[in-house]
Parts: sequence; structure tokens; C-alpha cells
Amino acid sequence: MPVVVFGLNHNTAPVDVREKLYVPEAAVPDLVKDLKKEDIGEAVILSTCNRTEFYFSCDDFERSFRKFYRLLVEHFGLKAEWLEQYTYVFRNEDTYRHLFLVASGLDSMVVGEPQILGQVKDAYRLATDNSATGFLLDKVFHRTFNVAKRVRTETKIGYNPVSISSMATELAKKIFGELKEKKILVVGVGEMCEIALKNFKKEGVGEIFVTNRTFRNAQALAEDIAGIPRPFDDLPNLLGMVDMILTSTGSEKPIIDTNLVNGVMRKRKHKPLFFIDIAVPRDVEPGVNDLANVYLYDIDDLKNLSQHHLKDRLKESEKAHAIIEEEVARFTTWIQQLDTNPLISRIYEKVEEMRGTELKKALQKLKDVDEETIRSIDILTKGIVNKLIHPHVALIRQNGSPTVLDIMKKVFRIEEENEKNMDNRHKG
Amino acid sequence: MTYSVMFSALALYLLSTLFYLLFLISDRKAIESAGHFSLLAGFVVHLALTVFRYIQAGYTPITNTHESLSFLSLSVAGFFLFIKKSYKISILGSVIVPVLSVILISALTFPAEIKPLPIALKSYWLPVHTVFSFVGNAIFLISFFVSILYLLVERGIKKKKFLPISPRFPSLETLDSVNYRCMSYGFPFLTIGIITGSVWAGMAWGSYWNWDPKETWSLITWIVYAILIHNRLAIGWRGRRTALMMIVGFLSIVFTFLGVNFFMGGRHSYL
Repeated sequence: MPVVVFGLNHNTAPVDVREKLYVPEAAVPDLVKDLKKEDIGEAVILSTCNRTEFYFSCDDFERSFRKFYRLLVEHFGLKAEWLEQYTYVFRNEDTYRHLFLVASGLDSMVVGEPQILGQVKDAYRLATDNSATGFLLDKVFHRTFNVAKRVRTETKIGYNPVSISSMATELAKKIFGELKEKKILVVGVGEMCEIALKNFKKEGVGEIFVTNRTFRNAQALAEDIAGIPRPFDDLPNLLGMVDMILTSTGSEKPIIDTNLVNGVMRKRKHKPLFFIDIAVPRDVEPGVNDLANVYLYDIDDLKNLSQHHLKDRLKESEKAHAIIEEEVARFTTWIQQLDTNPLISRIYEKVEEMRGTELKKALQKLKDVDEETIRSIDILTKGIVNKLIHPHVALIRQNGSPTVLDIMKKVFRIEEENEKNMDNRHKG
Repeated sequence: MTYSVMFSALALYLLSTLFYLLFLISDRKAIESAGHFSLLAGFVVHLALTVFRYIQAGYTPITNTHESLSFLSLSVAGFFLFIKKSYKISILGSVIVPVLSVILISALTFPAEIKPLPIALKSYWLPVHTVFSFVGNAIFLISFFVSILYLLVERGIKKKKFLPISPRFPSLETLDSVNYRCMSYGFPFLTIGIITGSVWAGMAWGSYWNWDPKETWSLITWIVYAILIHNRLAIGWRGRRTALMMIVGFLSIVFTFLGVNFFMGGRHSYL
């Protein structure tokens, strides 16, 4: 039963294509339902501003993928030529490797950035909330979280949590010292802006103004981020008032030019002005950076800057890749063993089901327990269960004779019919 | 006696220099503290020696090259310790402490024995005029290095280099306000130094202003800083321009101090 990932990311596809395939959280439930109709057993959809990826399991790869592809065309207006140009498809071992890399931040625009693990966890939780995952993807994702944690603790890849947005915050601090009470203007309503703003808010910035060509969008974003919407015509005035400007419009031509900023600087008595232009193509003319006390960084500058960290961390990155290779090999063997004997996975499933019911009962009785305790109980029960079934599983692996299998089926009360189902599920 | 004990102050400054140079390589708090406290110890010893010399000689010991350089070095140490209390500018120690050590070393190469005070300098204006002038110069020396650092960090940010963004470099805002602080202390000191000098000249030489090269150059320096302050307050000059002006101002001070003595002579040639 292959585990497949289909997707595109910042390395393979330009922004406008990535935007087309973006799946907002609210659209996931329906999409998952549609996927299920197409023989896709389990599915997790990971969609961020840098990537959209569909992880799924299916019985017959060729057939399911054709259906899946048709669904994408219907949903997103996916074009046939994009498939070749911009997307990638991995299966099994390569899927695990890819997911491990993504979750560990090794496939991110800024290597080692920590946000992506949270995004993967969110994507997985969203899938489980919609009952879109099952035995296989549960295993894959749980292992992924462990691997990402291992990479984080055993290497320094995430030691200096640098993401493009935190790089922007660092720069702002280098210019302004304290960011308290500094005013920010947001031009355009791109996604990256929100991430960058989160970081700035942590530093206690003052008012945040939002402007956009379409005023309604500015109002919507302003509401989300507790900002103040302003009409687009007000731009020159706003430039006089604020200290930092975040731009991310879809405009083809720069909307802020050198002349405009030059005039503004005189009015603001040459107080420093910091532009962070994360739009592609750029929103701010590069010449603005040559003006006194004006600093302009676009997305490439921020990226290049973070490469310096990357160089220091090349060794760490090698170490991280080694860990991932090791984990991929281990996990692949483990999954293959499941495949060689469906009874083993059936036992795991059955026992897990029993553990789940018992755990629920126990937790209902225990009132007022905190998350930490719940997790401890969860780990404890998992440990006991695994210890208990391990000799049985080992026996099946050693000696898969019909007699042994028969005894095991009786021990764990596994029905003949169920087993057949399992047979089907795990072949293919 | 003070001459040989002066080496203990120098030794402490050199120790501090060592720590501050180490601090450049390894960004550790402990190293910075070690540098800070050896500088403080050096300053205290240096100050005590200066006071001791004052008592021994019976006049303010800023009358010859040895004494002036020693006092300049003392003022730099003092003002740097003072200003670094309010701002995170430890990295400047890696330049300023070596510089003040070198100034003290060069002071020690000049004759240091205490001589009777020349008649021309016998005046109650001596302490006021010299102390204010030298403290002013010391403050502007510090602002000179602050300005250079400002230009370096600013250039780094403009050219999008990684190094200046590392946390050990102060922010532009910090450097600019240190510069502003230096200006608001240094300028009054310089002004009082010039005015008291003029009054003293009026009493000693019979005329308040003689267009002596040192006087002329002090006036030029004063005008540079006056323009700077005016522009800052009136049209909001700051950052890079302030830094550049500060550098020009300090070069003018250096010329007043050294150039005039070596090339032009004039009545200030006791120093």
C-alpha cells in the first residue's frame, strides 16, 4: 500500500502557481471528503505560503493518482504542463524522507527554521479532526514528529532560529534599537506579512496601519491583526508617520519610488525608515536604499543574509541529513515488516484500539488532569502495551507458521474476515 | 615616585586592553566584565596618581606634554566608563581602551619630573581652562570612534552584510544617541574651555583673542560642532551625516592639539 506525496514548493514553483494550489484551512474538510471518494485511503494536506503537499495512501498508485490528478484540475484549475514543470511525486521511502526533511526544516526556504514543524503538526491535526488519517499515515506522521525532534536536539540546525521574518526583526532592532512603540505600515495583504507581523508584535511595536488598493481587503487584514485600515491614497502621509513598512502587494510595478521617499524623508526630519519588501516582483524601487537613513530589504536580501547562518551550519545540515537517512531506513524496514505479515499490523491496530478505549475511560474518571499528565499516561500505556505484545510479534516474525498465526489470532481475538481485509489493505 | 607608579595604571589599562581584544574574538560576558573592571581599576589608580601629583606639585598637572597626554587618557577612560553605563557599547572598548593605553604610553615617553610652574601659567584659570578643554577633547575622541562604528554598521546594513547584524554590534539608534550624548556634553566643555582660555588670554596677554594658531583652530573646531548641533536640532540631521561631521570635528581637534604644536608653534607651545 503505497504512501505518496504530491506537491510543489518554493524551489519548484513560482509564487503565482503556488498561490493557485494553496488550500486554506477551511477548505480542507471538503477536499478530504472528495479525496476519499477517489479511493484515497488516508490523506494529510500541508499548505503553507511556501508549499502545498498532499500526503496520501492508496491501493493502486496509477489508478488513484489519475483520479487525484483529475480532482486537482477540478479544484484548482491545475494545468497539465504544470505537472511536469513544477511538481514532484514521491512514493514510500522517498515520501518518508521528504516528510522528515520538511518537518525538520531542511527543505525550508531558510534551512532550520522552526515554524514548519508547527505547520506540519497543524496539518496532521486538521486531517485527524476530519478523520482523514488511519493506521498508516498516523504512523508516518508520528514518526516524523519524533525524527524532527531528534534532528532538533542532536544537531544545531535550529539552534539559531532564523526565519526570514525573524531576520527582518533582527535588522529592525539593529536600526531602531528598541522596537517598542515603533509604528508599522503594511501595504498589501500577502501571507508572509502576517508571519512577519507576529514577530514584530512580540517586540511590542506600536500602531499597525494597513493599506491596500482594495480597501475592503485592508479592512479585513486590519481586523485580523488589530491594525488600522487606511485608504491607499493616504500612502505618502503614512510614510511620514511610520518607522517600518512591510510590502507584499501583487503589483507588477513598484508602488513606492525613490522620489516619493526622498520627499517623505525631509518631512520626517530624516528619522530612519525601514522597508521590508517581501513582494515578488518588488514593490519598492531598489534606489530607495541609497537614500540617507533609509534601509530597504527585499525577500532575496533577507534570504541571502540567512545564508550566512547556513554556511556556519553546513556541518549541522550534513549531520541532520545523516540522521534522516538513518531514520528513513529504520522506518522503511519497519513498515515493510508490517507488510510482510498483515497479522502484525492487525495486532498493533487491535491493541491500540483497546488501549484507546481504556485510556478514554480512565481519563473520563480522572477529572482536572493537565495536558502533561495526560501525555504521561498516554506514553505509559503505550509502553506497557508495546512491551506486552512485543514477544508475540517477535514470535510471528521468527516463525510465521500457520500454527503460530492461528494461535496468535485466537490470543488477540482477530476474526478471519478482518484479517482478509487487512490482507487487501497492505498489499498493493 | 608617581612616574613609576603610573606603570601600574598602565598595566591595568593594558590588562583591560587584552580582555577587550579577547572580547572581539569571543563574545562572552565574563571577558567583558574582566575588561570593564580592569579598566575601572586602572582609572581609579590613574585618578589617584593625578590627584597625588596635583598635591605634590601644587598646581593642576596639565602643563606639559606628559601631563596633558596623561590627563587626556584619564578623561577618555573616565568618560567611557561613564557613557557605557547607559548604553550597550562594550564592543567600543576594543578600540577605546587600546587607544587610551597608547596615549598613556606616549605620555610616559615625555619628561615627567615635576618642575616649578612657569610664571605664564600661574593663574586660577589654568585648572578651569585645561580641564574643560581636555575633557571636551576626550569626549570627542570617544564620539570619533562611535561615529566610525556607526558608519561601519550603517554600511553593513545598507550593503546587506551579515556581520554588523550580529548581536554584539550596537544598533544605529544606540550609536546615534551616544553621539548625541557626546555632543551635548562635549560641546559645553569645549565652549567653556575656549571662553575661559580667552578670558585668561585677556588677563595674561592683554588681549582676549590673538589669532594664535591654537586659538584659530579651536574656533574652527567649535564652528564644526556648532553647525552640527544646529543642524541636528533645526533640520534633524542625524545618523550618517552626524557621524561624518563628528569625524571631521575630531580631526580638527587632533590638528589643534598636535598639528599646531608641531607645525605652527605659537603661544600655546608649552604643550
